[in-house]
Amino acid sequence: MAQVAAQKPVFAPWDDPKQAPLIQFKNVTKRFGDFVAIDDMTIDIYEREFFALLGPSGCGKTTMMRMLAGFERPTEGQILLGGQDIDAIPPNKRSVNMMFQSYALFPHLSVWENIAFGLKRQKLPKEQIDERVNEMLRLTRLSKFAKRKPHQISGGQRQRVALARSLARAPKLLLLDEPLGALDKKLRQETQFELMDIQEKTGTTFVIVTHDQEEAMTVASRVAVMDEGVMVQVDTPAKIYEAPNSVYVADFIGDVNIIEGRAKQISDQVNIAWAEGQPSIFKGPFWISHILATYRPTMSGCHQVKPSRRRPLIRGVYRAEISLGKTKCGCHSRQPLASA
Amino acid sequence: MRRFILISVPYAWLLALFLVPFAIVIKISLSDTVIAIPPYAPTLDLAGGWAGIVEFFQGVDFETFEFLTSDDLYWKAYLSSLKIAVIATAITLAVGYPIAYGMTRVAPEWRPTLLMLVILPFWTSFLIRVYAWMGILGQDGLINQALLWLGVIDQPLTILNTPTAVYIGIVYTYLPFMILPIYSALEKLDDSLLEAAEDLGCSRFTAFWLVTWPLSRNGIIAGSFLVFIPTLGEFVIPSLLGGSKTLMIGKVLWEEFFSNRDWPVASAVAVILLLILIIPIILFQRNEQKQREAEG
Repeated sequence: MAQVAAQKPVFAPWDDPKQAPLIQFKNVTKRFGDFVAIDDMTIDIYEREFFALLGPSGCGKTTMMRMLAGFERPTEGQILLGGQDIDAIPPNKRSVNMMFQSYALFPHLSVWENIAFGLKRQKLPKEQIDERVNEMLRLTRLSKFAKRKPHQISGGQRQRVALARSLARAPKLLLLDEPLGALDKKLRQETQFELMDIQEKTGTTFVIVTHDQEEAMTVASRVAVMDEGVMVQVDTPAKIYEAPNSVYVADFIGDVNIIEGRAKQISDQVNIAWAEGQPSIFKGPFWISHILATYRPTMSGCHQVKPSRRRPLIRGVYRAEISLGKTKCGCHSRQPLASA
Repeated sequence: MRRFILISVPYAWLLALFLVPFAIVIKISLSDTVIAIPPYAPTLDLAGGWAGIVEFFQGVDFETFEFLTSDDLYWKAYLSSLKIAVIATAITLAVGYPIAYGMTRVAPEWRPTLLMLVILPFWTSFLIRVYAWMGILGQDGLINQALLWLGVIDQPLTILNTPTAVYIGIVYTYLPFMILPIYSALEKLDDSLLEAAEDLGCSRFTAFWLVTWPLSRNGIIAGSFLVFIPTLGEFVIPSLLGGSKTLMIGKVLWEEFFSNRDWPVASAVAVILLLILIIPIILFQRNEQKQREAEG
């Protein structure tokens, strides 16, 4: 993740007041009967962003996406796309395309015809359609499968057809609804990088809905953590991971150890008293939230045998070592026991 | 061995209930009419051994089939049946498709009720329902009474005993056979396909035309054959509602058997009807098979 962040260090339009956002949600509320799916939401999304909506199911992330696509209309508030209110524009007139969770490929059409579907509706000349479809097939490495029907190709290939089809019309904004949900883990990781690659190549703004925090952290330029129709935190993956603004976010993103204690500010550090008779923890201010401190397993060094020189920060019962991908030093310590 | 027993059951069924009766019909169609019981000759005398069989085969000929070509009543009846079956199937499709489509658009909890209502007429005898239509369509039937009372017409309309009545009867009777396969095709349709079509620039109408219609094609084909095949040989509806003016092969067949007591000619008519029906039946089977392959 550090690598990804290093690759695009200058890309932070949300910090630049001169940048005009591509999408603006202005006090948007969406109700289904009594149920409030989106509660007074205001958010800006910028051009070329890879914006991830992250949250448990039922948190309103899909509703947000469907409002952008035009399948739902906000009950209150405004959604602007490129400064224009899009409420009155039907889905087929928006320069927004969506990649569906189920892919929604037309089963009676071949891969080629699926990708050409949107272009044909634009009444483009035939050569232009041919050219664009072939370009999309190359981009998604599907040229060999152009004549196949959707049921004759694998899940990963179907996912790429869905992506190619939604990108073919070169939309200003591409919406991806759980795009990798149906793929197995290995394929999912490969596809994540492919998605980032394609996003970079085409320069399209991507808004992705996912409940997989790892996926959001990998692909996104910014992540919005949602809960019950409210955005709890909107920030870069690094900041969300290292400085969650609430227990909810900390708990939702990655594995975390939560220690309860009393915090006291000592110059620029914080001293946490967390258990009677145990040494306090000193730490920098950025991962502290009031009386709850969180620390990531990837930050902890775990020792089975007590190291001779350094004082242990927290003593705990060793439960299991869990490999967390690249960082191998993950360890889950539970609430420490005083007697351990 | 187990496999053999398993597949032998449907084959035995087919042999006993289709092939054997059909062989008997063919045998009768090759015989000549006589005034006797049974009213045809020669009869196959298996007790007579080999000599009996030889004697039988010397007696049969294709005279009845030649007779069918000499009288233009028969080919006119076939053609008229084909025409009525095609038009009635088209009307049934035009009426049934919107009903099936509407059924898939209502809230899911209502669908079983609507399905029930579509099937409900089957709970009453088909014959009684056709007789009921005589009461509805007749000179002083319900429709004419209602129209007279409303002042739309001052003379009762003649509906009964016209081709119109036959079409009404066929569409009414076979509508469920059209609705059910179309409904089952439409119900499987994923709504996100329509959203995807709209998302890619289709209006509601083009989305229907480019996605819903082609994806319900198998249901349409299945429904059309289920209506067309029995309609072609239909006898009860044209004879009760169509009067003497409607010429259909099923009626001709019935008259040959029961009025003329000409079993060989009636059998020949039946054999040719079956040969005509084999073509759509094969097409229907092929459609079903293709659908299964596409789904598998």
